[in-house]
Amino acid sequence: MSSTVVDSAARTQGVHVASGSSRRERSKRLRRAAAVAVLTIWTVFALAPIVWILMMSLKTPGDIVVYPPKFFFSPTLDNYVKVLSGSAFMTPFVNSLIVTLGSLVLTLLIGLPTAYALARFKFRGRENIAFSILSLRFAPELLIILPLYLIFQKIGLYDNYLGLILAYQLVTLPMLVWMLRSFIEDLPIELEEAVAMDGGNRWTAFRHVLFRLIAPGLGASLMLSFIWAWNSYTLPLVLSGKNTQVITTGIQQYIAYQSIDWGPMAAATVVSMVPGILFALFSLRWIVGGLTAGTVKG
Amino acid sequence: MKHKPSLPYLLLLPALALLVAILYPFLTGAWWSFTSYRLNRGAPVPNWGENFLNLFSSGEGLHAIGITLGYAVVVVVLECVFGIGLAMLLNYVGRIGNSFRLLIVLPLLLPPVVAALMWKVMLTENGVVNWLLEAVGSQKLLWLNGPDSALWSVVLIDVWIFTPFVVLLAQAGLKSVPKELSEAAAMDGAGPVRNFVSVTLPMLMPVLVVIVTFRGIDSLKMFDIIYTTTKGGPVDATTNLHVMAYLDGIRNLNFGAAMAALIVLWLLCYLISFFLLKARRKEAFS
Repeated sequence: MSSTVVDSAARTQGVHVASGSSRRERSKRLRRAAAVAVLTIWTVFALAPIVWILMMSLKTPGDIVVYPPKFFFSPTLDNYVKVLSGSAFMTPFVNSLIVTLGSLVLTLLIGLPTAYALARFKFRGRENIAFSILSLRFAPELLIILPLYLIFQKIGLYDNYLGLILAYQLVTLPMLVWMLRSFIEDLPIELEEAVAMDGGNRWTAFRHVLFRLIAPGLGASLMLSFIWAWNSYTLPLVLSGKNTQVITTGIQQYIAYQSIDWGPMAAATVVSMVPGILFALFSLRWIVGGLTAGTVKG
Repeated sequence: MKHKPSLPYLLLLPALALLVAILYPFLTGAWWSFTSYRLNRGAPVPNWGENFLNLFSSGEGLHAIGITLGYAVVVVVLECVFGIGLAMLLNYVGRIGNSFRLLIVLPLLLPPVVAALMWKVMLTENGVVNWLLEAVGSQKLLWLNGPDSALWSVVLIDVWIFTPFVVLLAQAGLKSVPKELSEAAAMDGAGPVRNFVSVTLPMLMPVLVVIVTFRGIDSLKMFDIIYTTTKGGPVDATTNLHVMAYLDGIRNLNFGAAMAALIVLWLLCYLISFFLLKARRKEAFS
């Protein structure tokens, strides 16, 4: 209500100072148009490669290698059929799923109690432990992976799901703990104290109150961990052999030989993008909240 | 709430166990860096710092360190400039910005390896980018195959993938800048540049610290994009410390030299994260 009043008042005022304000109005509209133009240019830059690969994945081999490149062609699904029916792509795809999901379960089991302890207790060495966990994320992967390569070969964890899942904790655990800790810290401790007043213990408070409140954030953190594990390249490159090849290393096989198998490679590329894009539709907002927690006020 | 003093440590037990377990490969690797360990030549023999000396005195070592630092600085500066700029534009245009944001963010969600592969396909001699260049009357470029252009091509791919990361965080940070403040500054006659430097940037500082920490460290230890597209080449034009360590270790089985490079790289990353995160933590609780 009140805003319409103000609005119309402003409009009548605008009539009085018509010439000056309309010029300002026009320059404002121009500036906005310029902003939209710049954003459009970047969006084209961001999308063009994805669109190009999508087109390539629908081309016949003849249409792919022709120069100048073709923008109009009769699409075919042959490449997808080839990729999805053969084991060259599907085996790494399934391996990726096994390793990624396995890593997430382990990360959750380790990370949730850790994040809770770091957020809710004051104890000696707290910040040092928190920093040590986070610093795993900031170490070059090979620093740990290169020695692990030999150690795993000795103890039989090389080219092994369990070995990969253990190693993947380097990628998934630090960020899950870091983000969950901020989510829990953001919730008032009074909620849990109220449960304690009513005779509940810490576990019931966690289960019935805290867990429900952090569930969306937890879901988003897990999704982000999923993406990081799914995208991980250095770890499987060193630690997985023939049996456990994952998607990021498997996709290279189309390009590894003398002749590059463009079509199936493009199709495999498109399929491997799907998890990330699905994730985007769900939880972008939560992720940004978790990464910036404590830095953004108001 | 009361608790037994042991409870937090009990909850931390799995994580602590993992940290201790990681110490083993870490210390093993650190030991190797002081030896002339080669996989097929028996047990590690100490050579006390020769690997590090080599790294800092040989042409290849210094070259790799130069590439590592140069790449990180260029990539972080470009991504911050583009990312913060785009974030401000997104906020400026209002609701339509949401649709733009969803599209702009897409590159960030692909596996970097896959994104790099995509660009490799487009940047081949008869690829679509060279065709575009010819269409506007320019010459074809060598891109990833040129000794001078390879590093810049990798930078281009990095900027394409990770600028959205800066956009997302910067946008969240910009929300904390009160509109009244910049309006008041404008009233006092501050132009857009002055306004940005004296009002927006200081308010953006905490988020900027997070951005620079993440992007700085990730570009110091960049491996995925470089190894997928150039494997460090042509010759050594794109060989940074991380790629050099991989080639030394996995291809030449020279684990001593590889671990020395990794220790140096790790110290670089660790120092940055230590200072920046300490600063952040302090800021968050003040």
